[in-house]
Amino acid sequence: MTDDSSSGREVSTAGRARITQDVIGGLVLSMAGAFFAWQAWDLPLGSPGAMGPGMLPMSVAVLIAIGGAVLATTGLVAGGEVMTMPHLRGMFFIIGGIVLFGLTIRSLGLVVAGPVSMIFASAATDEMRPLETSVFAVCITVFCILLFKYALGLPIPVVAFM
Amino acid sequence: MDLFSNLAIGFGVAFTAQNLLLCFTGCMIGTLVGVLPGVGPVATIAMLLPLTFGLDPTGALIMLAGIYYGAQYGGSTTAILVNIPGEATSVVTTLDGHQMARQGRAGAALGIAALGSFFAGCVATLFIAAMGQPLTRLAQLFGPAEYFSLMIMGLVFSTVLARGSIFKAGLMVLLGLMFATVGTDLETGQERMTLGIPRLSDGIDFAPLAMGIFGFAEIIRNLESPEARDVLHDRIGRLLPSWDDIRQSAPAVLRGTLIGGLLGILPGNGAVLGPFASYAMEKKLAKDPSRFGRGAIEGVAGPESANNAGAQTAFIPLLTLGIPPNAVMALMVGAMTIHGVIPGPQVMTKNPELFWGMIASMWIGNAMLVIINMPLVGIWVKLLKVPYRLLFPAILVFCCIGIYSINNSVEDLYFTAFFAVVGYVLIKLGYEPAPLLLGFVLGKLMEEKLRQSLILSRGSFATFIDRPISAGLLAVAAIMLIVALLPSINRKREVAFQD
Repeated sequence: MTDDSSSGREVSTAGRARITQDVIGGLVLSMAGAFFAWQAWDLPLGSPGAMGPGMLPMSVAVLIAIGGAVLATTGLVAGGEVMTMPHLRGMFFIIGGIVLFGLTIRSLGLVVAGPVSMIFASAATDEMRPLETSVFAVCITVFCILLFKYALGLPIPVVAFM
Repeated sequence: MDLFSNLAIGFGVAFTAQNLLLCFTGCMIGTLVGVLPGVGPVATIAMLLPLTFGLDPTGALIMLAGIYYGAQYGGSTTAILVNIPGEATSVVTTLDGHQMARQGRAGAALGIAALGSFFAGCVATLFIAAMGQPLTRLAQLFGPAEYFSLMIMGLVFSTVLARGSIFKAGLMVLLGLMFATVGTDLETGQERMTLGIPRLSDGIDFAPLAMGIFGFAEIIRNLESPEARDVLHDRIGRLLPSWDDIRQSAPAVLRGTLIGGLLGILPGNGAVLGPFASYAMEKKLAKDPSRFGRGAIEGVAGPESANNAGAQTAFIPLLTLGIPPNAVMALMVGAMTIHGVIPGPQVMTKNPELFWGMIASMWIGNAMLVIINMPLVGIWVKLLKVPYRLLFPAILVFCCIGIYSINNSVEDLYFTAFFAVVGYVLIKLGYEPAPLLLGFVLGKLMEEKLRQSLILSRGSFATFIDRPISAGLLAVAAIMLIVALLPSINRKREVAFQD
C-alpha cells in the first residue's frame, strides 16, 4: 500500500536497505503513543457509562502505539520509501528565528525582535546576501510597526528597552 | 419567500460603507498574501487574523471571508503564473493553466479563472442561503450520538481523501485527537497531560499548532530543495477571454460548480476532491482529450469553478452544524470564538444579521475579486518575482507577530516552534498532516458528544447503531472506507493524487 514505485523516488525493496520512512515513522509514533500513555497513566478511566478523564486519552494513546508498531513491522517486511536526511540547517535557523523573536519581543520590542529574527532565519539558505537581507529586514520591520502598531492598534511592544 | 427576505437582511448588512470596505480590504490583502508562493490559505488566514481583532464580530467575519477568497484566488494566480500550487486544490490548475501561460495566454487563463469562480461563487451563495434553514432544522434533530457519528464520518473522509496511505492518515487523525485531549478535562476539571506547563491547562491552541505544522514546517520543506521558480517573463496577454474561450468553458464552469459545490458540503475536506473530479470529467467529455495538459481552457475553467464552489459550500457544515469540515474552516471557528460567536445552528436564529450578512458578503467578495484582479495582475506578477530568500524571513516575522498578537503570549511562539518541528518530522516520515488537524479540531467536541451519548445510553455502544440517522452516517463512513481500501480503487486513488 505504501509502495508507490511510480513516483520516481528512491524505493527500497524487501531484503535490501530497510531503513524506510515507515519503519522509522512507525517507531516514532509508537514512542509518542507510549509517552502519552505514560502521561495519562494516573488519570481515572471510569466506565463506558461514566467516562473518566483518562478514558479517551488512554485509548487513543494505546491505538497510536499499536498502529505505529504495525506500520513499522509491515515496513520491515514490505519495504517502502527510503528516509532522506532532514534539512537540519533549515530547521535550526527557522526554529531559531521563532525562538529569538519570542525571547526579544517582550524585553526589547519589535524594533529589535523583527530584524534579529529575520536576519537569523535568512541564514537558512546559501543564497542569503548580508547587505540585502539587513536592509530588507529593517524595511519590513518598519512596515510591520506602522501596520500593526499604528494602523491596527495592536498592543505589540515596539520599543521596550527605553 | 423567506430566502429572499433573509438575503435582503444580509445585503442590508453587507452593503454598509464600513462592511464593503472591510470586504474589499480582506479580498485585497488576502490575494496579496495568497499570491506569495508557498503560502496557502491556512497560513494566510492565521497570519492575517490579528488584523480583524479590533472589529465588531460581523465586520471581522466579513473581512475574514474576504481574506479567505482572496487567498484562494491568489493561490490560483500563483498556480497559473509560476506553476507552484499554494495548496492541494490548485494542483489541478497548474496542469493546463501554466501551459496556457507559457503559450502567452496567461491573461485568458487568469480571466476565465476569475469569471468561473465568480459564477461558482454566485451559485454557491444562493445554495448556502437556500440550504441554511433546512439544514439548521435538521441539526435540531441531532442528538449527541448523531453528532459523534457525523464527526466519525468526517474523519473517515479526511483519511480517505488524504494523499498517500490511508493507514498512515488514520494514525494522523489519532495523533490529532491525542493533542486535543491535552488540557483541563471539561467534566471533572482534572488536568490531563499538561507536563506541568500552566499554559497547557487551557489546552493546545489552534493557531500555534496550525501555523507550526502548516506554515513553518512547509517553509523548512521549501528550503530543502533549491528554488526552481519559473516566473513568466512573457506578456500576460489580454485578460478578457475571447467569445470562443467563453463558449468553450461555459459548460465546464457549470459542471465544475455543481461538482465542487456538492463535494464541498461533505465533512472531512470534500472540497479537495472538487477540482480533481471536475478535471477528470472535462477530460473524459472532451472531443479531443489530448489537448488536456497542453493548455486546454476547460481544464482551467472547470476545476477553478469547482474549487471556488467547494470553498464556499464548505461553510455549510460549519454554520449549520458547528462542525468545521477542513483546516480553513477550523481557523474560522477559532476566529469566531475570539469574537464571541460559537458556530452552530444557533448562529442563524440568534444572530441573523451576522449569518446573512456574511453570506451576502460572500457574493460581494466574489464580485470584488473579479474587479480587483483584472487591473492588478501586473502587481501580482511583480510580487511573484520576489525571491524566496527574502520572502521566507518576511513570512516568518509576519507569522510571529500574528501568533504573538492572538493572546499576547510569548509561550504561544514556543509552542509554534515545537509544532514546526513536529510538522517537519511528520512530513519527512511521509505523513500527511491535514487529517491530524481535523482530528485535533474535532477532538474536544467528539469526546464531549461521546461521553454524553454513552451517559444517555448507560454505557451501551449500541446507541450509535440503534438510532437511524447515526447508523446511516456510520454506514456511509464504513462504505467509503471499504471502497477506498479495495485494491483496484486504491491504486486509482494513488494515481489521482499524483497527477
